[in-house]
Amino acid sequence: MKLERLFQLLFLVPAAVYLLLFFGFPVVKNVIMSFQAYTTTTFYTGEAPWVGLQNYVKVLGSQLFGTALLNTALFTIGSIVGQFAIGLLFALFFRRNFPLSGVLRSLLLLPWLLPLIVSSAVWKWILDQDSGVLNQFLGGVGIGPVPWLTSPSVALITVILVNIWIGIPFNTTILYGGLQDIPEELYEAGSLDGATGWKAFRHITWPMLRPVVSVVLVLGVVYTVKVLDIILGLTNGGPANATQTIATQSYDLSFKQFDFGSGAALSNILIVISALFAIVYLRLNRKAVDD
Amino acid sequence: MTDTALPLRRPSGRGATPKPRLRGNGKKYLLTAVGVLILAVMLFPVYWMINISLQPAGPAIEAAWFPIHAQFNGYVQAFQDQAGNLVTSLLVALGSVIISLVIATPAAYALAQFKVRGVNALLFGILISQMIPGIVVANALYAAYNDLGLLNSIPGLILADSTAGIPFAILIMRAFMLNIPTSIIEAAKVDGAGNFRAFRSIVLPISVNSLITAGLFTFLFTWSDFLFALTLTTTQDVQPITLGIYQYIGTFTSDWSTVMAAAVMASIPAIVLLLAAQKFIAAGATGGAVK
Amino acid sequence: MAATIPLVLAGCSGSGGSTSSGKVDSITVLDYYNQGNDKTVIGDYLDKCGAANDVKINRTLVPGSSLIQKVLQQASSKTLPDVLMLDNPDLQQIAATGALSPLTDYGISTDGYAKGVLDAGTYKDKVYGLAPTVNTIALFYNKDILDKAGITPPTTWDELKTDAKKLTKGSQYGFAVDANATYEGTWQFLPFMWSNGGDEKDINTPQTEEALSLWTDLVKDGSMSKSVVNWTQADVNDQFIAGKTAMMINGPWQIPGLKDSKVDYGIAQIPVQSASDTAVAPLGGEVWTVPNTGDKAKQKVAAKIVDCMNSEKNQLGMAKLRYTIPSKTAAAEQFGKDVPAEQVFVDLVASARARTGELGEDWPKAATKIYTAVQSSLTGQSSPADALKNAQSSN
Repeated sequence: MKLERLFQLLFLVPAAVYLLLFFGFPVVKNVIMSFQAYTTTTFYTGEAPWVGLQNYVKVLGSQLFGTALLNTALFTIGSIVGQFAIGLLFALFFRRNFPLSGVLRSLLLLPWLLPLIVSSAVWKWILDQDSGVLNQFLGGVGIGPVPWLTSPSVALITVILVNIWIGIPFNTTILYGGLQDIPEELYEAGSLDGATGWKAFRHITWPMLRPVVSVVLVLGVVYTVKVLDIILGLTNGGPANATQTIATQSYDLSFKQFDFGSGAALSNILIVISALFAIVYLRLNRKAVDD
Repeated sequence: MTDTALPLRRPSGRGATPKPRLRGNGKKYLLTAVGVLILAVMLFPVYWMINISLQPAGPAIEAAWFPIHAQFNGYVQAFQDQAGNLVTSLLVALGSVIISLVIATPAAYALAQFKVRGVNALLFGILISQMIPGIVVANALYAAYNDLGLLNSIPGLILADSTAGIPFAILIMRAFMLNIPTSIIEAAKVDGAGNFRAFRSIVLPISVNSLITAGLFTFLFTWSDFLFALTLTTTQDVQPITLGIYQYIGTFTSDWSTVMAAAVMASIPAIVLLLAAQKFIAAGATGGAVK
Repeated sequence: MAATIPLVLAGCSGSGGSTSSGKVDSITVLDYYNQGNDKTVIGDYLDKCGAANDVKINRTLVPGSSLIQKVLQQASSKTLPDVLMLDNPDLQQIAATGALSPLTDYGISTDGYAKGVLDAGTYKDKVYGLAPTVNTIALFYNKDILDKAGITPPTTWDELKTDAKKLTKGSQYGFAVDANATYEGTWQFLPFMWSNGGDEKDINTPQTEEALSLWTDLVKDGSMSKSVVNWTQADVNDQFIAGKTAMMINGPWQIPGLKDSKVDYGIAQIPVQSASDTAVAPLGGEVWTVPNTGDKAKQKVAAKIVDCMNSEKNQLGMAKLRYTIPSKTAAAEQFGKDVPAEQVFVDLVASARARTGELGEDWPKAATKIYTAVQSSLTGQSSPADALKNAQSSN
């Protein structure tokens, strides 16, 4: 029995070692950095004086932190709700066998393939207020022009919409895979009991899909909270900080103002926020499953 | 649109079971039409990229709706500059798929099926790893790679890029493997198969779908990686396509048709893979059903 | 254990080259001229200067936005290049780390340069970097559009407002700037702020408020697109080439692209508030430096390369090929005679002001405040006065 245990552990060893080297080590380094005055000079001299909690005090006390926190929350919730809802609809839709459904579903992954710098450049043109295709089209049907990226009150919504667009393929594919793995017999048995349509979804599809849904939602939040490229590409956090999130703010501190200590402190706060979310979600979810 | 797209909302139960056997051909093609429409909306930015890549050089805001006077100058230029980078990207992406699956598959199986202590801790560790902003990892890796001589090397990029693939593949495959009935594996063991044999001859064949999904996403993650390409290469010897495109979008000038031509070329290998994998997924699904 | 072995190996192989034999045969260079014309011109001149000093040049190119990151990484791993190019506002920050050596240590003369050029290259009274050619921004106008409207390029703010308004019709705007949330946006605002007596030490002043009000008014009355808050300088140039704006603020590095396009353009000084004000332009351009690599023999040769790049003849040669302005006054005057079309830039550069001249390594903080205020005012979030007040007090 002991040997069996040891053997089972062997399955986990490669992954554990990899995680320690490629995640454990960087995080430890980042935590240390956040308690230091880590600046450009540090890179040359190797010296970074300890400053205790000063970096945390600074970033938490900054005017921008509140804005960034709210924007991060809105951006994350908006993106996840949109991506998941549309992704699930698409997954259910593509599950019905119709001519070309497989090919169409594969092509749906295409947005994923565009390098993010290209996506953001393309979207920037499409959304341009004056000559963008979208406003041209909307103008044709009598709407607009919409200040997609130029109004502080619209820009965050726009950035969320673009991020939803990016996330749909992921959600669709994973959820579709989950749907495929639900045994057909369950539905056949269900239909004998009168569970069809909405009922079948509620009592068969959703419970069976639950583990996959958990993964999709938790990963979705975790990925979305740290989204950087697309915001930098579309708005650079502007206009007037309307799309500034904790991630962009941390990037700004580290790589524009070269205050790496503060940048590290802020990215640690970001990690803690998403860890808290994951714990709460997994707890609630386990409870729900146990019930 | 929604009514036909949503099997769940349909009032009558019959056709609402998933994978309904659609009788009328008309209905089938209606679904295809809806699918094409969805795809058209989702892929519009991709179309726009292709459109600009075919326009004569100049500002992208002037681009016509259709490339009536298509020019291929951009492609000629892009191919000359980027052919080598495409090969690099392909090698890195394939390498990362192999490494990720080799490390992640046994771990996912262990996490789904074994009741070893520490499983939950490791699972949470993997989840946490997803919360770490890429920049944190990249910064720490640079120093380590510099000491180990892994900068500007394909193995270095493969290992770093797998930070996206490995934890993700573990979580996704575990979610699928949770659905494997323990009884099947137990039965194999009763027949005298060890843990390893049971894994190889029972678990792997059943989980082919999830392996393909995980591999596919690992490929896509790696293919579109930009951060590690930017931070872990210092010369132009080993340069993935994303970095090549980034260099195109330079500080002072923009020749958009060439940039977009490079982006289109960057999408081709992945499109081919998507279409090919789609067949495998279908084959895997039916194969599983027959058994 | 496994990690230490390659470390030692790397330490051995890395120090080849000069110290053992005493003879330097190659010099490493890092710069961000990674595109077309700039890439070849700078490469040719580096090779020329290498040949003159009997060394081979090993050049590494990175995109502009990743240069600093690369430099910091190289500093921490002790792999700095022998010759390093930096964008001038970054120089003081890098010099402050101790990674650079003063050029005067190698007997390089700093005579004959415009004041702004030396300011940009100086940290704590020592010159660490010299720019062979420099640039600034000016008013580019579409000759055809202005002629048709019977307008000559505006010289004062009032003229700018009326002209821009007149030139706005249909899908064509009168004027365009880059007001985005980066240092580029700050850079474009500086000539308006400085020429009116504003200062980066404290932006909550009436002078800066007037400059910001000008930009805000131009957006409010529709003469400037609301999109300026997201445009880069390249985007502004695209708008200009596409005929969607009649006038723009931009720099001489756009000239090659403009020449390829069919636009007939002219260049004038950026308008000032009243005709009696002097235009103060921000100084742009890249400085060449000699990092402290620890290899004294190589550093000496590297200094010779930097000196060679800055010879009057080479300055003039590169300037003509790159549409930028020689940084030595005498060479600049010659350049103005040879290329009259760029006389505007020659005049501006003579009195151009370095961004880091006043605040040194604290410039990035001030620059962030400036673009934040510009964005908040142009989007109508707050009045110019409030925007500046909030930005100044932030942090």
